[in-house]
Amino acid sequence: MTIDIQWRDYDVIVVGSGGAGSAAADAAAAEGAAVLVVSKDPIGCSDTKISEGNATVRATVTDDDTEQELSDNLRVSGADLPPPDITDAYAKDSRDAYDWYRAHGLRPKINETRGGPFARPLAKGGHTKARSVGHANAGVAFSHAGWDAVVDGRRIDYLEDAWLLDLVTEGADAAQRIVGVVVYHAAEGVLIAVRACAVVIAAGGLSTLFFPKTDTMRGNTGDGYAAAARAGADLVDMEQVQFLPFCLPSPPSYEGLLVGEPSTACFLGVLRDRHGKVILDGVYMRTRAECSAAIMRAVADGRGTENGGAYLDLTPNARPPRSGAYFMKFLETSMPSAYRTARQAYGKHQIQCREPWEVRPAAHYMMGGIRANADGASAGGDGAGQRADGLSGLFAAGQSMGGVFGANRLGSTALTENVVFGLRAGRAAARHAATSPRGGYDDAFLPVIDDHSRRFGQSGGEAPAALKSTLQAAAWDCIGPARTADSLDRMTRTITDLTQRSEAAAIPNHTVWNQAFIEFIELSNLLEVAGAVTAAARERDASLGGHVRLDRRQASFLAAPYSTVVSRMGHGSYTARRVARPRTPMARLFAIRLGEAWKQARNKALRLLPMNMVDGILEARYRAILGPAGKPAEIAPGSPEGAVAEAARQ
Amino acid sequence: MKVDIVTLRNGERTTVAYDYRKHTDKERPMALDVLMQAQATALPDLAFRYGCRARNCGVCTININGRPRIACRARVREGDVLEPMATLPALSDLVVRRDGIARQLRGRLAAGQRTNDLNVEAPESYHALTACIECYACLDGCPMHARNFAGGLPADMPDDTPLPDAAAGYRWGNPFSLLKLQMLRLDPCVTEAGRAAALDAAVDLGLDACVGCKGCKCGVGIDLKGKVVGELLAAAGDRLPAQGAAD
Repeated sequence: MTIDIQWRDYDVIVVGSGGAGSAAADAAAAEGAAVLVVSKDPIGCSDTKISEGNATVRATVTDDDTEQELSDNLRVSGADLPPPDITDAYAKDSRDAYDWYRAHGLRPKINETRGGPFARPLAKGGHTKARSVGHANAGVAFSHAGWDAVVDGRRIDYLEDAWLLDLVTEGADAAQRIVGVVVYHAAEGVLIAVRACAVVIAAGGLSTLFFPKTDTMRGNTGDGYAAAARAGADLVDMEQVQFLPFCLPSPPSYEGLLVGEPSTACFLGVLRDRHGKVILDGVYMRTRAECSAAIMRAVADGRGTENGGAYLDLTPNARPPRSGAYFMKFLETSMPSAYRTARQAYGKHQIQCREPWEVRPAAHYMMGGIRANADGASAGGDGAGQRADGLSGLFAAGQSMGGVFGANRLGSTALTENVVFGLRAGRAAARHAATSPRGGYDDAFLPVIDDHSRRFGQSGGEAPAALKSTLQAAAWDCIGPARTADSLDRMTRTITDLTQRSEAAAIPNHTVWNQAFIEFIELSNLLEVAGAVTAAARERDASLGGHVRLDRRQASFLAAPYSTVVSRMGHGSYTARRVARPRTPMARLFAIRLGEAWKQARNKALRLLPMNMVDGILEARYRAILGPAGKPAEIAPGSPEGAVAEAARQ
Repeated sequence: MKVDIVTLRNGERTTVAYDYRKHTDKERPMALDVLMQAQATALPDLAFRYGCRARNCGVCTININGRPRIACRARVREGDVLEPMATLPALSDLVVRRDGIARQLRGRLAAGQRTNDLNVEAPESYHALTACIECYACLDGCPMHARNFAGGLPADMPDDTPLPDAAAGYRWGNPFSLLKLQMLRLDPCVTEAGRAAALDAAVDLGLDACVGCKGCKCGVGIDLKGKVVGELLAAAGDRLPAQGAAD
């Protein structure tokens, strides 16, 4: 069976159509480039769309919110892994990026006195200034703006139901460059070879590697990372996957969805194993990684719950006669969507916190990604990677781009990040395309086309969807929220085994929307990124941020910071190295540590007091948090206020 | 629990009686749970769309017992029939081709017709419409959309009649497209010319089909008849024939 091949010509190809992809396409078109957007999901159906809809906009509340301060906040939060010129770029462009959404129809509340978008005058954890703008209808409002930009864009063409298969390059070593991509257009049942000298990867993250233990879009199968790595580009910080500790382990329809954060466990919440033994106290002062590690350690010891999790026991918060009602009010209003999910999944009785909730971590965001400079251009070499010496013609933005957040992501930063670097990458890609010769490299496409067209009608005894499930289960056990030297070795063996078995995948010969072929492609990409995460996790020889080693200590905050960089050697096989990063001044780090130690001590003292005294103290605390409106500031999933200890403890 | 799943390969429809294995006696599965378990077991190539599993992304709409439902939050019962949405051409199993809808709005979304002052608040009526997740449940029973398919559904088109070209965008509109146009008319940052063009586009897409129509149903509860169609009909006024409803 053969599949038809079409050829097309563009200046810039953008892979993905969420916030980052739509901004990149718009910026490239504005530079005069002819742009093709390639999206496997319907236009705009991305993590941007399902997000909580809070965006970081500098200087919305006070004039003294400088670029330097925002840049510093990002770097300190990321444990000094983010290169300074990348966080500087973020800080410099945050206002323009936000206005890009507004130019396409995003309409916030307006602060009339300051003449700009309204942000609550409350600095969220990790941010030293208030700068988070919320929106009616959350992420859906953002996706309307991006959708309009792509669908109505002059000089922008788009394909949905179209899977990126591979990047096509010519030349070798330093002279290697992008000359196009090959795409499977499932709706038409054809392969499309697109000639173009610049490609922006804005294809989201890799959380689907841990499905169903994730609260993100199905499409996050690491397609962008895998294609970039196969073409020879470096990936950075790949061990840094953000897991949220308190997600649902069941029922299936709700598996992976978020029910709370360490902060919402409040002053008396604890984690228990299946026997009721406390495995972590003071949960609200813990990092997400600490909570996840406690749960996974219990599971590893055979003390996990029926569905491989632990019990989040909030009953001590709800029980006291005076503060209990305030706690319930806080729980209900601080994370409304998580509370709604919890009520639907646990039911009317359990939501009252009269018995513990079964929880399990889930993957939320990929902080690592394609190694890039401040223009989103692929970066390489042994140094800090601050020149465009990576794969020529390759650009990245959004979750696909690594290096912006390092070991930890500040709340409400992603919806700004995707457009900051989307616009930068789009512009840079258009300029690159304008000066690069196109055409004359059709031969370079032929092996890529052949490698995929021969799959249609392939007989074999393996179902790609089943292999994918096997990989997802192994990834959870081996490179999920808790890792050991042994689990990393097991992951490597599983990747080798599944890579071999995937060669025997059964793929029928129909060409229109061939689900087995789609599963096969995504399986291949997931195997690649599993390899990249494993290699980076092995190189990072201590726990740091989203990377938790059960058999190693926490990385010292005094240690010299470094990023891990991985390069592909073969199918799912990666080599890792370290790239040194500059460190935040010591005096500043010590100040942050001291502040955190004080808060911990206060909480410990509280637990030593008699219950009726505690009740009174907590009542006063809740009243302060709830404020005169009786409603607290909302906590964004994955944000520092969801885990107040994190800003201080990378 | 037995559920019928209608599959489609190479133009051939087959109904598979799938036996869903409940995880607990109490479990009340959603349609998406059934599809995922079927794909993991008996039907490894089963094709269906989904995204967030939390009713936010609008991707997983299918027909259950003949009505469009968002699969990740639609509970199923013994004997239910799961099929692709009937209002769009089916590609494979439960996957339909969606892009003919969005493409009809190309060049009609007021690009370049917005004012420079962004610091203006939109009215509540605008935010009521940004709740749309583009699930396309509203296409069900829409006489305007049906004009694309000889007044019926894609599957009802007479043999030998080619389906309209989705890649070019469908000629006739639907409640979703009208919602996007009405958003422009409510956006304080769109110029007068931009708003007038949005109304022109609604008329051109076949707004006359809404005259006398009993109204459309939104998958996420937006009042389409009151807040979209009614407003556009009132604004278009005399420009529409009095009796335009296709049925």
